[in-house]
Amino acid sequence: MSAAATAGRPPGGPRFGRLLRRNAWTLGTYALFVAVMIFTISIHPDYGPFEVQSLVVGALPLAFAAVAQTCVVLGGGIDLSIGAMMAVANVLAARYMLGHDFQTALLISVAVLFGGTLAGALNGLIALRTKVPDIVVTLAMSFVWGGVALLILPKPGGGAPDKFGELASGSLFTPWIPNGILLLVGVVALVWIPLRFRGLGLALYAIGSDRTAAFRRGVRVGPTRVFSDALGGFLAACGGLALLMSTGIGSPLAGTIYTLSGVSAIVLGGVSLAGGRGGVTGPIVAAFVLTLVPADLILSGTDPNLGQVIQGVLIVLVVMAGGLAPLLRRRAPRTTDETGVAAA
Amino acid sequence: MTAGLLAVACGGSAAPATGTKKYVVGVSNTLTGNGFREEMICSIKAQAKASGIVSKVVVANRTTDPSGQIADVRNLISAGVNVIVMNPSDRSALDAVIKQATDKGIVVVTVDQGVTSTTAYQLYNNQVKYAQLGADWLFKQLGSKGNVVEMRGINGVSADADRHQGFLATLAKYPNIKVVKETFTNWSLDPAAQQIKDILGSGLKVDGIWTSGIDSTVVDQYVTAKKPFVPVVGADNNAFIGQLANLKSQGLAGAAVTNPATVGGAGLALGLDVLQGKTEPHLVNLDPIIWDNQSSTGLTELQNHYDTKLDAYYGVSFQVAPWTTYTKADLIACADV
Repeated sequence: MSAAATAGRPPGGPRFGRLLRRNAWTLGTYALFVAVMIFTISIHPDYGPFEVQSLVVGALPLAFAAVAQTCVVLGGGIDLSIGAMMAVANVLAARYMLGHDFQTALLISVAVLFGGTLAGALNGLIALRTKVPDIVVTLAMSFVWGGVALLILPKPGGGAPDKFGELASGSLFTPWIPNGILLLVGVVALVWIPLRFRGLGLALYAIGSDRTAAFRRGVRVGPTRVFSDALGGFLAACGGLALLMSTGIGSPLAGTIYTLSGVSAIVLGGVSLAGGRGGVTGPIVAAFVLTLVPADLILSGTDPNLGQVIQGVLIVLVVMAGGLAPLLRRRAPRTTDETGVAAA
Repeated sequence: MTAGLLAVACGGSAAPATGTKKYVVGVSNTLTGNGFREEMICSIKAQAKASGIVSKVVVANRTTDPSGQIADVRNLISAGVNVIVMNPSDRSALDAVIKQATDKGIVVVTVDQGVTSTTAYQLYNNQVKYAQLGADWLFKQLGSKGNVVEMRGINGVSADADRHQGFLATLAKYPNIKVVKETFTNWSLDPAAQQIKDILGSGLKVDGIWTSGIDSTVVDQYVTAKKPFVPVVGADNNAFIGQLANLKSQGLAGAAVTNPATVGGAGLALGLDVLQGKTEPHLVNLDPIIWDNQSSTGLTELQNHYDTKLDAYYGVSFQVAPWTTYTKADLIACADV
């Protein structure tokens, strides 16, 4: 009896307990990452800067795709055109950066990011004005952007200055910290931190949780939805540029796999597909986990066809474990009254 | 008793391993569930076994893009392989990672498709010529005039682009041949079947069909629809070879152009030669051969290569001379070292 009571009240008091419970899933994702990392180092003892660089460069496009999807899903939407928008950003940048210097490449990047933001906003506007569900609108747009990417570059081509690639693969300080991770943290912080501490961020979560309630509380639902889609477009464009950094070339078909693997990453990272719940660090760490798993399969010599199965099982297990947490939370007030009140 | 036998068997195979089996082979492939690619990987395993100097084959095989393949190749480097045989998903995107591998003394061989890297060894079928051989035969068979359908592979892939280029080059020599329909089969059976159904249903006058390898599916649709056959060009796939040999009496004219899936094994043989200090050219272009069922030599080849026990889309170019040394049984069993 007393054991149950102490379990319901962690040592740091109710505040700490609430923080812990709220972020349980994200912490779980971190733990999963650490576990996979320990496994990796155990099967590959010379894990070094080269492997860290492989991981970061490999995970970067997926991490951006995951954050892009997170922004849309938190607002209660879904964007199936993220992969296709990544492809368009990728081929646009590759086509116009070819043969230019680093400064021009950066200018082109800014233009591409702006274009991505507009494309994302367009998704939101269409869904809002026509009242067509966004899953349909973005599915249709994924074909549109897929076609546009093939029109811009019918086959893989274009290019980027070497220095542009070093934005991901180079290392400013030590080979153990590739620039890619700084870039990812920088961009996400730039977008996320101002959002988190302003009304707009709160509005985003509010329309994701309950659109009607948010509307009654005076949240401007329409503009907030368009904003979240535009943010998704911006980050998808970041993903397209990250692809260009890793391959140094534009490929019209390259982006397509990131729509669904991005959804896997956000689910694994604790973002509720129903909207309004989750954060941005979980999906990023999940993207790294999803990049490490195939690497481990290669290193351990597992049958590669098992890889898909293992990834799928991993996602189901994590989601099941995540589903347990709210169940336990709901039961908690019955055994301990105090924390139950604090949590509510 | 059984345990004793097992111990003997294990001891017997392990003894030479320490002395001569010194190389680890890495394989990178980015399209799964595809008969050609599976046979390619099996040919690498079979050749590794036949060579007797390979201790392990590490396979990175998943459906992914160039960025994923870069990650896979880097993981193979981390896994400590001596030679990497890869089917490149892009012509130039992999150059940087290939250089990282060769800088570490790893021999990289690209098969099936080319790359722009100067440090890789490349062994692949001449895809421009593949299209030219088949198209030329088809257009001659039609008496230099008529309506043809061009059924291509995957839009945006270099092998498809090369074949299209070859097809157009040959087409330019035949002013009275008209391409009435151009489709992308994505090298998959279902879209190809649907496209042929649509064409047969539309009443479009078609005198001949050139396919980029999804061939027996086309013939099957003609059989199902009970329509008179038109000349068809395809690849060296088992079912198509069988149709050309067996349906000739029912009026099917056709030709198969070789595109060996066993380039994988040939690529490994080349890579192992380089590892052992032999000098090999950096580019080996395989010349495709055409087997048509109208000439007696072609018909003999078709009959010789057809194997009723194999799957419809199993490539029947079992060996790539002079490179591969494995047995056909090992290839089909996908025997690992």
